[in-house]
Amino acid sequence: MRVSSYLSLPLALASALWTYATSASPDYSEHLLLQPLPQSSLLASFNFRGNTSQQSYDNQHFQYFPRALGQILQHASTKELHLRFTTGRWDAENWGSRPWNGNKEGGTGVELWAWIEAADDEEAFAKWITLTQSLSGLFCASLNFIDSTRTTRPVVSFEPTGDHPHLETLHLLHGTLPGEVVCTENLTPFLKLLPCKGKAGISTLFDGHKLFDAAWQSMSVDMRPVCPADGDCVVQIEQTVDMVLDIERSKRSRSNPIPRAVPNDQLACDPSKSYNSDDTCYPLEKASGRAWSLQEVFGRTLNGVCPLAVSDGESEQPICLRVPDERQVSYSEGVVEHRKADGYTRCYALSPSQPFDLSVPEQDIQQEVPLEEPVLHAERTIVGHGQERGGMRMILANPSKTAHVDFIIFESLPWYLRPYTHTLQATITDANGRSREIPASDLVTRTFYRPAIDRERGTQLELSLSVPAASTVTLTYDFEKAILRYTEYPPDANRGFNVAPAVIRILGAPNAAPIYIRSTSLLLPLPTPDFSMPYNVIILTSTVIALAFGTVFNILVRRVVSVDEARALGARTLKGRILSKVIAIRDRLQKKQTKVE
Amino acid sequence: MVVDRRKAAVFGTAFALRLILVYFFPSLPDLLTGRVEVSTPVNSFKRLQEGLHLYMRNVSPYDGGVFHQAPLLLPLFSLLPDVRYHPISTAIFFAIVDLVNAHALAKISESGQSVQSRLHSAMRKNIRWDGTTVAAWFLFNPFTIATCLARSTSVFTASGILLAVSSAVGGNSLNAMLALGLASYLALYPALLFVPLVLLSYDQRAEKTPQPPSISHFVARHVGIFVGSIAGLLGLSVLVTSNFWEFISATYGFHLLVPDLTPNVGLWWYFFIEMFDSFREFFLGVFWLHLASYVGGLTTRLRRQPLFVITSLLGVFAIFKPYPSISDASLFFATLPLYRHLFPFMRYTFFAVSALLYSSLLGPAFYHLWIYAGSGNANFFYAITLVWSLGLSILLADSIFAAIRDEWEQDHPERRGEEVKQV
Repeated sequence: MRVSSYLSLPLALASALWTYATSASPDYSEHLLLQPLPQSSLLASFNFRGNTSQQSYDNQHFQYFPRALGQILQHASTKELHLRFTTGRWDAENWGSRPWNGNKEGGTGVELWAWIEAADDEEAFAKWITLTQSLSGLFCASLNFIDSTRTTRPVVSFEPTGDHPHLETLHLLHGTLPGEVVCTENLTPFLKLLPCKGKAGISTLFDGHKLFDAAWQSMSVDMRPVCPADGDCVVQIEQTVDMVLDIERSKRSRSNPIPRAVPNDQLACDPSKSYNSDDTCYPLEKASGRAWSLQEVFGRTLNGVCPLAVSDGESEQPICLRVPDERQVSYSEGVVEHRKADGYTRCYALSPSQPFDLSVPEQDIQQEVPLEEPVLHAERTIVGHGQERGGMRMILANPSKTAHVDFIIFESLPWYLRPYTHTLQATITDANGRSREIPASDLVTRTFYRPAIDRERGTQLELSLSVPAASTVTLTYDFEKAILRYTEYPPDANRGFNVAPAVIRILGAPNAAPIYIRSTSLLLPLPTPDFSMPYNVIILTSTVIALAFGTVFNILVRRVVSVDEARALGARTLKGRILSKVIAIRDRLQKKQTKVE
Repeated sequence: MVVDRRKAAVFGTAFALRLILVYFFPSLPDLLTGRVEVSTPVNSFKRLQEGLHLYMRNVSPYDGGVFHQAPLLLPLFSLLPDVRYHPISTAIFFAIVDLVNAHALAKISESGQSVQSRLHSAMRKNIRWDGTTVAAWFLFNPFTIATCLARSTSVFTASGILLAVSSAVGGNSLNAMLALGLASYLALYPALLFVPLVLLSYDQRAEKTPQPPSISHFVARHVGIFVGSIAGLLGLSVLVTSNFWEFISATYGFHLLVPDLTPNVGLWWYFFIEMFDSFREFFLGVFWLHLASYVGGLTTRLRRQPLFVITSLLGVFAIFKPYPSISDASLFFATLPLYRHLFPFMRYTFFAVSALLYSSLLGPAFYHLWIYAGSGNANFFYAITLVWSLGLSILLADSIFAAIRDEWEQDHPERRGEEVKQV
């Protein structure tokens, strides 16, 4: 891909929205961006934004701000909130850079971070617990499991995006639940926060069956105060849903979801293969000219527009599609198409009351929408074998031929993974494939490290790093896996434990919005005891201890005598007397028996 | 000064053997450092390195769950060259510590305290090994060699204990208390040796001076010295760490409450993994009381042989302390040869030695089956630790029996050699 040089639309759109956001007025707007991606995928990016003036928010007069969320945030003194629900993996190799530059996505599972106003750390944590407990109920997610071991306080990885008058009293807290399964029960409360509640507007396209069947999806809720230079402060809530759907998979009917083999006559074969014949085929990957429509992909059509969405500026055309201009697109009646100057984007102004569908027929086209290449490729894996120790390996590749890339890696590790920071090593591989080991301190400019304490808090590690142009850096460190008490294991103990993804913040120009990348979450197998035998272990260990204690004290307290003396002593003891009595009775009985005979 | 050629040969060979092993098998030290039988959370060299790494970067090593060793080890090891680039200097340092320990053992043996003391005189004095042989038993014990190569910090505790005993038998009770203070500061549990060590010192003093001081006065003074030495070391530690309670809870609290259940050769880890949560504190108390109960029993019954009480307490620690490793067993095995004259009285030597050999061979194999191969579970290794503890406790009980039998013979010289029984 030779495209990194020029700015493509998602970035332009994101930055446009960014500037738009800072000059916000009390209103509500919603947008949908559709973009076919390589390998028969379709990116659908939904965005809903509502503003309420700070004054009415403080007076509990929630306008476009959902009351349920607003009251929780006010109760927990939360000034800025970011909540993410993510499943799947963004395939950066094929799909290019992330939507919203990664600003609207989280690590696998649930991720939450918030700026809380409090006098000290302790109070901030108490409010944080209040916040997570309440959000847990609101979003039907296990957010209440974000306890002290899953909470971190990042130093340099996150910056507040809102305008805060008293930044010094704000405390940033961050928590992740990498094992949380995001599903429909999280979507329903998410939709309820919207003014049109999924009844009208672009939110009518949400169907849990399709959304959570996506190859990658991320839901986000962001709340922040925005103070434009020339106006009153507003409290802004922004909700986004981004998903990458597999078009072929989504088009399958729900009643018959099993994929069938393509009939022979419909197969597109590669005739250049030597073995190509009537019964041997190398199937050709279809280019972007695949046919799809909203109805087929989302299972429903768009139901009018949300009447609350203001009809000015960009909201006039709430739906945009990014395909080359030569692509034929048919749409419902009463809809007006606007083409943008870049030659790839067309937007649609909808008629208020009519359902809207968009259909793209199959078409052979050569041109493709250029994708922006990510500025950094990051991969994070656990290496080593066995359940005793292992290593973490991060591969960070800078694809740029000219510019180095500066970034911050933020890792929050569970306490039962004990990293050894003195084993941190770096290997750098240049464009020619030559690799050499260098001291990690040559690359890492700053380190923020807070080691874990067993059962109290997790490890927090932030590394400031710089990767030179056209090179790959591999960072490794060793860790040890702790063995837990048997009650601390989940029911599926042998599945392993989830380790939260690393968050990478790429530092660009000072005032530009940062770019975020998240690695995939990891699975950490821990050594397990035998869960079936607590009683046996208690009994066996106690037996060994009793044996030792008994033997030693038996030897210590008893008197030593010679064997002769023992015999003499034995006659006089109670036992000896009883024994002699028993023998006497036995003898008498035997005598009687002989008499009877 | 006459150089004992035999002793020099033993020490030289032991030193050379350690260096040869390090030189020809460069991965051996790291391999042994990773073994759970050798390294426990409180003596692991890897954890020490991590603590050192944090200490050098001005991060408190105790504000974390990895480092639980005494603070004064940090400045000591920061003087040594970085082990990643100069492993041989660390190896030489640990080998020298081993030689110092062996020298202290030889001194204890040469003092003859094990056979002839103020209140006791063994019947079979002639059956004994000299200091060099006892030192050789220690230096060529594979457990000692493994501990030395793994650079386990238990060797410093062992030094403290052995130097304390050798000073006590040499009549220098002040040094004995200071050395025991060091050992207790490093690992807490040697404080339990205080009572027999004071008695040993008192016996030495009483033997040498015609009018011995009153025992209560003597003990009170030595309690003062002992507490003073620990307080001094803690004071120095505060200078190193700057946060007193943080390091106290990370080191001694860690010994007492046993939060880290990493497998080791002892009995605590699996018991507390499987223990019901509501009973955890109760059994922690029971286990510690059990460990301490031996001090009173042994000291009272074997009042005439305080050195033997120390030996058997070292055996008790090797079995019942919270984080035991083979280094504790090697210390027990090092002091046993001082009692060569008791060996003829021991009844279950074959059984004990077989159990120990069996468990030391099968232990690593079963651990591998559990952790790496996945074909066994935790019970495999747990069963082996039970056998190991059983073997050690048989050896311990047997040696105590032999000592008591020896005392009986001393009281009844006319019945020497007769079969005995306990009633």
